[in-house]
Amino acid sequence: MQSGSLFTPNAVVSKQTMRLLITFQVVAVLCFWAVSPFPFLPRPHEVGTSLHDLWFYDNLGIELFTSFTLNLETLLVSTILSLGLAYLNTMPFFRPMVALFGRLRFLSMVGLSFFFTLMTKNGHQLKLSMLVFSVSVFFVTGMADVIACIPKEQYDLAKTLHMGPWRTMWEVVVLGQIDRAFEVLRQNAAIGFLMLTMVEGMSRSGGGIGSLLLNQNRYFHLSAVMAIQLCVLAIGLAQDYSIGVLRRICCPYADLRRAK
Amino acid sequence: MTPHSYGATLLQIQDVSLEYNGKLVLKGVNAEIKDVIVPGRITGQVVGFIGPSGIGKSSLFRIMAGLEQPTSGRVLLSGAGHPVKAGEVGVVAQNYPLFEHRSVLSNLMLAASRKHDESPKEAHERVVALLNEFDLYEQINHYPMQLSGGQRQRCAILQQILCSDHFILMDEPFSGLDPIMKGKTQDLILKIANMNELNTIIIVSHDIAAASAVSDHLWVMGRDRDADGKVVPGARIVQTYDLIERDLAWRPNIRTEPKFAEFVVEMDELFKTL
Repeated sequence: MQSGSLFTPNAVVSKQTMRLLITFQVVAVLCFWAVSPFPFLPRPHEVGTSLHDLWFYDNLGIELFTSFTLNLETLLVSTILSLGLAYLNTMPFFRPMVALFGRLRFLSMVGLSFFFTLMTKNGHQLKLSMLVFSVSVFFVTGMADVIACIPKEQYDLAKTLHMGPWRTMWEVVVLGQIDRAFEVLRQNAAIGFLMLTMVEGMSRSGGGIGSLLLNQNRYFHLSAVMAIQLCVLAIGLAQDYSIGVLRRICCPYADLRRAK
Repeated sequence: MTPHSYGATLLQIQDVSLEYNGKLVLKGVNAEIKDVIVPGRITGQVVGFIGPSGIGKSSLFRIMAGLEQPTSGRVLLSGAGHPVKAGEVGVVAQNYPLFEHRSVLSNLMLAASRKHDESPKEAHERVVALLNEFDLYEQINHYPMQLSGGQRQRCAILQQILCSDHFILMDEPFSGLDPIMKGKTQDLILKIANMNELNTIIIVSHDIAAASAVSDHLWVMGRDRDADGKVVPGARIVQTYDLIERDLAWRPNIRTEPKFAEFVVEMDELFKTL
């Protein structure tokens, strides 16, 4: 490969070149971090020390587990709710209400917390309902788009194979798009993780990393804040990777479709 | 000319018209396909359906497939006694759609289960036999994305053979193919047509030479013109050619014969007036 092609739009590089690029850029970021001229940016060893203290004295592990299980619960409920709504969207009767539900993504979570507080019985339910709402409004919109983009030929194919409307929906919309549903889930799971710390900060009962993060923020413990953020990032990436693995196991044809 | 006679009417298009948003697309389309009987051999029917792009071929294709209802008129299949319904006619669309989440075997079993609902073993045997016959057995567990263009085409056709009774509509089967693949597709069409006396394949195409080479009858779709030479809205079948009468059907090396070349030129000239 010519050296100039690294800066050419849409240039194709080998896997080895890409690995080298990633290694180089990660090392560059770490070096910049270590010798950063910004006085407020904690150094790596400070973050390491904070991580140690948080883990052994501030129950970081337990808080991470609390947040992680809350996030898993959110994903489970919002996946069932969102897929159900997206599939209902194929029926004319439900289209207006599903479209309206998707539009609710423009509402502020701070403004909605009051209503959710009135509707739920405890802190866990409050956090769960706010997270499920936040993820689902985006999930439904993404999944409705996926369904709207199914080519007409797929429906025609189902008809020529003597499938009725319900069988067509099962074959074309549910089974036929399950790999794309995983992809939408993957994107929205990241949104859920983004909202997690905010929601846990709004309702601190039951703890969680959001609550821990706000406490450290309040006392300006920047190295602790950064240590928590790095943990959040690591768990988020692990979650993203796991959903990808699950998609490859359930839909082995998915990568072929993407490559095409 | 090969000795032949005509039997029962297999498909009839009766005065079909279609309007989209007040715009007339098809106007009083009439045509029929009869069983062509050649003594001593099984001969299916292959009808080429040609016309310029955008004239309404796809609309009539969808109506014949039962995927769309005409504004007026109807399409009847032999023995059905009612206007054609989706699923009664096999449809092979231009890009050969298959269910991407199913393997070749699974796609074909889905189609075969209609006729062998109570015996999955029979369905499997039929699928395997066809896969062997059409050189696809090695790809039995492949997903559609793993198939080459030709393999995908054969798989899509097999799916429709397994599911429909005797009719298969093919939309632009020669589109984007090189001459060798066109020849193979023509052989495939003839092979399928001649599997059963009642098998009838309708090829929608704007490739005059390729469609003529494989057909026994040709329908040409066009629009009328008024006294000023302006196009009158609403397409219909303006010309039907019996290629058997012209001694242009069922000939293996038809493309090399001068009368075939003359016929293609004649059709080219006709196209300019449509």
